[in-house]
Amino acid sequence: MNDKLNQILQKQQQQVDEPHKKEDDIIQLVGFIIGQEEYAVPILSIQEIIKPIEYTRVPSVPDYILGVFNLRGSVIPLIDLRRKFKMDPVKVTEDTRYIVMKGKDNTAGFVIDRLTEAIRIKSSRIGPPPETIHAEKGLVYGIGMREENILTILKVEQLLKRDF
Amino acid sequence: MEDVLNKARHGDLKLTPEVMDVVLESIDLMKSLLHAIRDNGNDTSVGIDITDICRRLDIISNGETAKNIVVAEEVDESPVPSAEEDDNTDYSKLSDKEVEDEIERLLKMRKEEDRKRRESSGSAKAAAVPTPSFESLKDNHDNDGDSDDEAPKVVEPVTRRSVGGDTSNTAPAKKESASTMEQTIRVEVKRLDHLMNLIGELVLGKNRLLKIYDDVEERYEGEKFLEELNQVVSSISLVTTDLQIAVMKTRMLPIAKVFNKFPRMVRDLSRELGKQIELEISGEETELDKSIVEEIGDPLVHIIRNSCDHGIEDGATRRANGKPETGLIQLKAYNEGNHIVIEITDDGKGLDPDLLRTKAIEKGMITEREADAMSDKEAFALIFRPSLSTAKVVTNVSGRGVGMDVVKTNIEKLNGIIDVDSEVGHGTVIKLKIPLTLAIIQALLVGAQEEYYAIPLASVLETVRIPLDEIYTIEGKNVLRLRDEVLSLVRLSDIFGVKQVYEGGEHTYVVVIGLAESKLGVVVDTLVGQEEIVIKSLGDYLQGIEGIAGATIRGDGRVTLIVDVAALMNLAKGITVDIRASAEAVVKTKTVPSDYIVLAVDDSAMDRNIMKKSMEPIGVKVLEASNGQEALNMLKSAEYSIDAVLIDIEMPRMDGYTLAGEIRKYSKYKNLPLIAVTSRTSKSDRLRGVESGMSEYITKPYSPEYLESVVRKNIKL
Repeated sequence: MNDKLNQILQKQQQQVDEPHKKEDDIIQLVGFIIGQEEYAVPILSIQEIIKPIEYTRVPSVPDYILGVFNLRGSVIPLIDLRRKFKMDPVKVTEDTRYIVMKGKDNTAGFVIDRLTEAIRIKSSRIGPPPETIHAEKGLVYGIGMREENILTILKVEQLLKRDF
Repeated sequence: MEDVLNKARHGDLKLTPEVMDVVLESIDLMKSLLHAIRDNGNDTSVGIDITDICRRLDIISNGETAKNIVVAEEVDESPVPSAEEDDNTDYSKLSDKEVEDEIERLLKMRKEEDRKRRESSGSAKAAAVPTPSFESLKDNHDNDGDSDDEAPKVVEPVTRRSVGGDTSNTAPAKKESASTMEQTIRVEVKRLDHLMNLIGELVLGKNRLLKIYDDVEERYEGEKFLEELNQVVSSISLVTTDLQIAVMKTRMLPIAKVFNKFPRMVRDLSRELGKQIELEISGEETELDKSIVEEIGDPLVHIIRNSCDHGIEDGATRRANGKPETGLIQLKAYNEGNHIVIEITDDGKGLDPDLLRTKAIEKGMITEREADAMSDKEAFALIFRPSLSTAKVVTNVSGRGVGMDVVKTNIEKLNGIIDVDSEVGHGTVIKLKIPLTLAIIQALLVGAQEEYYAIPLASVLETVRIPLDEIYTIEGKNVLRLRDEVLSLVRLSDIFGVKQVYEGGEHTYVVVIGLAESKLGVVVDTLVGQEEIVIKSLGDYLQGIEGIAGATIRGDGRVTLIVDVAALMNLAKGITVDIRASAEAVVKTKTVPSDYIVLAVDDSAMDRNIMKKSMEPIGVKVLEASNGQEALNMLKSAEYSIDAVLIDIEMPRMDGYTLAGEIRKYSKYKNLPLIAVTSRTSKSDRLRGVESGMSEYITKPYSPEYLESVVRKNIKL
């Protein structure tokens, strides 16, 4: 029983780590909008998605770190992806959500404009990131092609890495 | 040797410094024997002469056996070779007097040898503390292992071997005879830590519950179930507090653990330095959190070394100064509220503030002007700067100017306070004030503009309310004269870059914080109160932000940051904002009436229109909201800077009273004019309006002119 569970967990972990191992692997992502673009992160790296709650500002940090908030007793940093991507901040709307992502040793909440949907995409349809578009080095895992649009898939570990 | 100790324990043998010398020396010998055995596998390859010491032990021991029954009880000691067995009948037939003489004679002899040996081996040993506390010495023999690595190795060849060396090889400590068996179990520290964390969560929960109860009480005043709720809440909060204390207690250790190594240390030091020093220990049963006990050892070693080396003068000088020849160091521990105070007092020559100033100037640490401005207390604080030493010569023991810096860093780490007091010629008192525990602390919650911060209460010395014009500027620094001290001031909001949203009044609050030896006045806008907080880490991502020690979750579920007092003091040095000037420069950006914004909150569109019309003559901009919730959201978003709010009382979703109450919760809207415009005219309604925070109360119907004038008055146009 336990072995089985472990196997499953391992498989999941593999999926998180290398979503494109096999050509026909289907990757599950959660898509969201920041600014005009649609982004996505692997579904397994998401701990939960919550509506905006109050946060406390933390001094002497870059402006994209809004502060910390209380997630059922844990203090978790809140990062504004708009500002992180050098976009102008906007007001919180009805659609704004915090996506709480969990990495190996870090957890953080990210402010996004709006959720889109859970996405299943074949790993063959994910291309490498074009080198020119993103100044933020290493944040982009790849570009997912879909029928109607393209997705920017983000690297969660990189997002959760402290870079100041 | 066991026999000797045993007798001493039973009071049969009077402990004289000489006896202790022999005992300690034999312990050192045993240790070196053990080392030798460990290193070489046997005890014959190193030339350690234990004959002499064995004989002396025998003398001491057997000299008394004639009149006493030996009680065979184990001493809880490290492996003890018992070499004395061989010839212990020789002296037992002697009369007391003869024994006394014999001891006297042998001791003299031994002292001679001792001196010779010390000269030859070069490693000084065995100091004489007259009648040190025997219990503590005994307990401590184990701990001294490291420092005794260079136990005297005698050069002359082995003359006689004893069986002791070999037995010690196999003899494990024979501990815990039946009489000393205790009702204890060993628990992993990790488990206790986990328990502590859980308790932390519970405390947070309790705080929240209390807060919710307050709210409920307010809303359902006089209801029957409140009584019951009150009982539950208070009993839970009581039990939680008790539980917290109980768990904290399980982590407590008596400070004796640390204190016990000092008698031996002082004894050795005093021998080495050729001074006579007595160490008096009291309060060693005082308990402290385990983690603190571990941290406190080093600083105390440094302080006591300093007292021995620099504080206490040598015998001749002391006599010349009319003091008893034997110097006295007192080591005291006691509880004071949530703190433990450790006091180290010596009756030595004291600290000379002038000498300290000159030294500091010599080393270029301070300028002469600074030195002149320094009070004696501040000058004493100089000893904590690295690389400052008052010692003219660097000795083996101290004088390198490192020790006190270590003291300071360690005590700061524990959020402790150091207080140095000294009088030239009379001695020095060093007081360490350390919080009892680290995980759950008492904190003072303060407000800086709209943000709240928690300052560990351990570091808060006092809070004062001062008028702004008492703040002076000296060389770009803000200072306050507080009684006879000059205190530098810094605004919390400047340190943490808090947005200035509202200006303070004529007065301001100053929280005087003290850490280790320094003090600082922190200007805050509000004092919220004292609260028990649980320290939570900010996580890897936000680790190591300067000035922030961690975070805590308050009763209302919000996160409040905990100020790192040590870092705050550093940060404060870099800030040069003229508090008075900036406080007086009133932010007056609005000049023309059209800059002003009035929010009209009413569920009827017609009423809003009437309000709008009435205000047209003033020329202000009017925003509308159809209910309390909407209005509150507009205010919260801070998109507009609203200057006044007209509030209808009867509205769907959120009524006027609630809205006013909610608005007043925001500190930046504390002074925002809230004008109730309502058809409710009864006195009790008016009263409720005032209670909820309304600044004006206008009853419908009203004349447009009247409303206009009220608004004008309130936004000062």
